[in-house]
Amino acid sequence: MSCTRRDLLIGTSAVIFTTGVASVGATLSSQVLAATMTDGKKRYGMVFDASACIGCTKCTDACRETNNVPEGVSRLEITRSGPTGEYPDATYRFDRNSCQHCDNAPCVYVCPTGAAYKDDATGIVDVEDDKCVGCGYCLVACPYQVRFFHPETGSADKCNFCRDTNLKAGKLPACVLSCPTNALVFGDLNDPNSEINKVIANNAVYRDKVELGVNPKLYKVADSKGEIK
Amino acid sequence: MDTFIAAFSGEAIVWDWIIAVYLFLAGMSAGMVMIAIYLKRKIITGRAADNGIIKATAILAPFGIIAGLTILIFHLTKPLAFWKIMIYINPTSIMSMGVILFNIYMIILFTWLAMLFKDELLLILNKFVGDKLNVIGVIIDKINPFEATIELILAILAITLAAYTGFLLSALKTFPLLNNPVLPVLFLFSSLSSGAAASLMCGVLVFKQPMHCPSVKWIHKFERPVVLFELFLLLCFFSGLILGGGQKEVAAMAAIGAGFWAGWFWIGVVGLGMLLPLVLNFVTPEQTRHNSHFLFTVTGLSLLGVLMLRTFILYAGQMTLV
Repeated sequence: MSCTRRDLLIGTSAVIFTTGVASVGATLSSQVLAATMTDGKKRYGMVFDASACIGCTKCTDACRETNNVPEGVSRLEITRSGPTGEYPDATYRFDRNSCQHCDNAPCVYVCPTGAAYKDDATGIVDVEDDKCVGCGYCLVACPYQVRFFHPETGSADKCNFCRDTNLKAGKLPACVLSCPTNALVFGDLNDPNSEINKVIANNAVYRDKVELGVNPKLYKVADSKGEIK
Repeated sequence: MDTFIAAFSGEAIVWDWIIAVYLFLAGMSAGMVMIAIYLKRKIITGRAADNGIIKATAILAPFGIIAGLTILIFHLTKPLAFWKIMIYINPTSIMSMGVILFNIYMIILFTWLAMLFKDELLLILNKFVGDKLNVIGVIIDKINPFEATIELILAILAITLAAYTGFLLSALKTFPLLNNPVLPVLFLFSSLSSGAAASLMCGVLVFKQPMHCPSVKWIHKFERPVVLFELFLLLCFFSGLILGGGQKEVAAMAAIGAGFWAGWFWIGVVGLGMLLPLVLNFVTPEQTRHNSHFLFTVTGLSLLGVLMLRTFILYAGQMTLV
């Protein structure tokens, strides 16, 4: 009697173990596939041209207005460093701080409920408000520190390339539309003829923290002088 | 005091001191369970439930895990939505796997305790609800033949749980101090040391387990190598970071080189929590060591040290980015 019971236990645990591992394996491999997909579906990305940016922060205001971002938090920030050089030749350097829409997004990997996800159709990293419980794991996991808790919903929030606002209405993201110097270019990285791919091909571009293997989709054109930091 | 407040209210800190308390409580629970299972199987002769250390575990192990999880739930921005973390599962998320682990651990822990304390449990049930729940006794008798298997599973779960608190943080590739393979091992051993201290404190002082009995003697003998190994792990942890160069080195030096958290680490974690108990146990005569005030001081220092270690790792870890 005890022998058959034992066999049954071993058998069932073996089934649970193998199916468990198989499903984990399937999920992992599909995520890797989606992460490295370079053809077929859209992969939206952005170029920030620091040599064109004048630091007017119109993008920040446009984002706040379009996406109803409350005061005290922000999806997009323009940081200023410097000045370098002496007056009257002093220059400032500007940088964009926002979600980089990583192909291998750490926030998506760590989210316990799957509220942080990468949209298969666009490659945009987004948050499902209803699923988010507000544990903060994604906030600490993000290498770019761009996530925050929305003061009203309590959910993790960040730039989603205006996926549910401007993009849905067939317009470009609010920051891109508002930029007076065309320092922002938005488009499909999978489309070889898109403007963004031309800008990337014709400029020396870099991406932040590529060594982490997260494959960010925010490209940057450096200001003309000095070391890129 | 101002530096104290400033150190605890960093703007970039998402997971604050209350998470360190959770890490401490979960670790203590796991450590106590590991020690209790070993004692029951190898050291204790006679009925395990009569041993003060086992009684202490029966109270503190469930308390640690339940209080820890309650802290976690109220740390969420949406505490009422906590159940979603149990029904939505993400296999790539260490936290999601941890939630499953916690649930299984609690079920097995309560099953094991119910088997150990069957008589006491039935006595309490009879007192409050009469014989309506006697079926529980029948169920316990049914699963009794599997006691050894359940113990083995619980021991494995406890080890995994203690290491899990480390894996949870080591998944954060943003912070060099946390994204470190030594962290789960370090947390496993600090769990064991907090488990040993809590077992002694509660088992001897509250449940009056005699000092000279084999189980207390075993924990005393077990404590010293655990703390020494913890010190060695800390050495591995920081030398690995410093030798790694770049931001790893910056993070390590920012943490233990100078400033508030360096003082916290050297004086609190290493000095008060590890070296002082080691020295006190080494220099005092056996007569003094069996004094209850002495025992309270030494185990209290060990527990404080572990809590300070968890707090240190959490805060110093979130200080430096890659």
